[in-house]
Amino acid sequence: MIGSKGSLNADHCEKEKVVFKKITLEKLGDLVSALKEKGPLYAPVRDGKAVNFQKITKTADVTLDFYNTVFSPKFVFFPQTEDLIRYTLQKEGAQAEPVPIAASPSVILGVRPCDAKSFEIMDRHFLGAGIIDPYWKNRRDNTVVIGYAFDPAAPPDPADFYNTVGIHAADTEGSDVFMVRKDGELLLKGITKKGESLLKGLAVLDAASAQDEAFFDETIRKDRGVKTRFTEITDTAIAAKLVGSFEKQEIWEEMTASCIGCGTCTFVCPTCYCFDINDETLFRKGARKRFWDACMFTDFTLEASGHNPRPRIFQRYRQKVCHKYSYHVTKYGCISCVGCGRCTRSCPVNIDIFSIVEKVANL
Amino acid sequence: MTNIKQIEENLKREAKRLLESKEVSVVLAYARGYDEHHPLPYAARTAGEVGNLIFNEYCTYNLARYLTKYPPKTKIAIAVKAADSRAVVQLIQEEKVKKEDLVILGIPFIGMKDPKTGEEIDQKTTCHMANPVLYDILLGEEIRDAGAGSPYDVLAELEAMDQAARWSFWEKEFSKCIRCFACRKACPMCYCDPCFMDASRPRWADKSPTADGNLMYHLTRFYHLAGRCIDCGECSRACPMDIPLHLFHKKMAKECETMFGQAAGMKIDDKPVMVNYGNQDSDEMLK
Repeated sequence: MIGSKGSLNADHCEKEKVVFKKITLEKLGDLVSALKEKGPLYAPVRDGKAVNFQKITKTADVTLDFYNTVFSPKFVFFPQTEDLIRYTLQKEGAQAEPVPIAASPSVILGVRPCDAKSFEIMDRHFLGAGIIDPYWKNRRDNTVVIGYAFDPAAPPDPADFYNTVGIHAADTEGSDVFMVRKDGELLLKGITKKGESLLKGLAVLDAASAQDEAFFDETIRKDRGVKTRFTEITDTAIAAKLVGSFEKQEIWEEMTASCIGCGTCTFVCPTCYCFDINDETLFRKGARKRFWDACMFTDFTLEASGHNPRPRIFQRYRQKVCHKYSYHVTKYGCISCVGCGRCTRSCPVNIDIFSIVEKVANL
Repeated sequence: MTNIKQIEENLKREAKRLLESKEVSVVLAYARGYDEHHPLPYAARTAGEVGNLIFNEYCTYNLARYLTKYPPKTKIAIAVKAADSRAVVQLIQEEKVKKEDLVILGIPFIGMKDPKTGEEIDQKTTCHMANPVLYDILLGEEIRDAGAGSPYDVLAELEAMDQAARWSFWEKEFSKCIRCFACRKACPMCYCDPCFMDASRPRWADKSPTADGNLMYHLTRFYHLAGRCIDCGECSRACPMDIPLHLFHKKMAKECETMFGQAAGMKIDDKPVMVNYGNQDSDEMLK
């Protein structure tokens, strides 16, 4: 199960000092405006058919009527493209300046429990592996995550399987503030000190009553009744199963036969963190950039010699599953998947990682 | 129109017969995915695997994109809807597959639905045909009344824009691109290996999804597909950013048809329009 080594976010508040507030949904705009004053605000915005997190410029754009976003909010901490160094090439050498790391405090509003959990998983890699990634750390330290419970009355999307990795529809873990919807109101509870101080500074919020608190606690309990797809796995057992299945080429070929080898699943994924670094220069001016890469791409492992250790799709797909469910367990002590179902929902040919993990677990 | 369940039955019967008689070694069709609304492209290799085959209105994927992955001379049966059959014909014209290696299982059907949205997809995003243009076995009755309208009707809004408005429309759409490459990977005609976008010497576009690089990628891909796109709409359906790529492809197809009097993937004896020359060809593009 995820979290077997405990959370890196150790500042969970003590029960007696709970900061508990509420606001009517009609006043969502006021809350958004108040949050925006604190710094950049990221929140769900509907654009055509899709809802995605965006940096909010217009208060009215924010919607809390959505199931989950197409893309995960990981880009707030780990943008798809980031300039690390900007340079001008000269006759000899170059003039180069590192790009300062943005430090303004920000808020992400409306993060589903599986996504809030994903930030903690990514922390293990970006902060806890011996080398601290300053870009990730700076944004993480300066951002307040406002989690948002899935509606316990609405059926989960058929692609979701967060229960399988030990996450529930109203888990507060990974959130600084947690938000539950009660009829026409939003109830907001401080989960960490960071979250509490944010709530205390928001004059737009009203104090919540004892009944509200009972409703909040009941929702968090009741979420156990929300059932996503589920298969019994433990992190160490599935890690071992995957190692055992590695050489069984026919099984992997069969399970991934329809994969077309695009990178959509990794780009929508909240826990995929692979990146590439490249210099991009135009008319002698340029930047050293870091940007998302995907293990599903042919050139991901292509070596300068021309040799490619993973030339075939089944090898790349196997790598993706093994990384999340085996190597990550061995290296960082937890599965690197939160069962949000995004990869399955966005796959152009409906490949489903849950079915593959389930099959391997039952080998 | 033949009932969709009946089409599924016919598909299974023919697949079983073809595999049992060893006429083919693989049948490319569809199987159940994680639920009924999300089928998977599926390659059945034994008569026993035929039981996994399904056909319902969510089986949108153009299976022709898998054809070029098999070694030459593999005997393949492939289930195709109208646009998919045009992809097969185009691949035959381009000598990527041979007709003699294929058994084409044609599916005449109107009313396919996008598995992601549940919306009907036929008229606006595909070639607006109901019957496959080439088949060995038809798995349902030929559809006589496919409805009026042209596949290019959907272009009216774009064509009414002036140049500046059209440019800003596409600039905005391409700026959304995240370079997941789902469009090129879902496309039956994108079989270049390596794709120009994967080349590092020369590098044709920035590796990161910059606006300029995105423009380079999409415009080059559109032009690579001039006279070759068979209008199945898979690129737009595959795109996680909902970029309406099919509109540009349709516009190119329309121009090609107007100038050279030939639509892509209609007859196996046609030469691909961009490798053919005729005295009557339009000079319009040189003016």
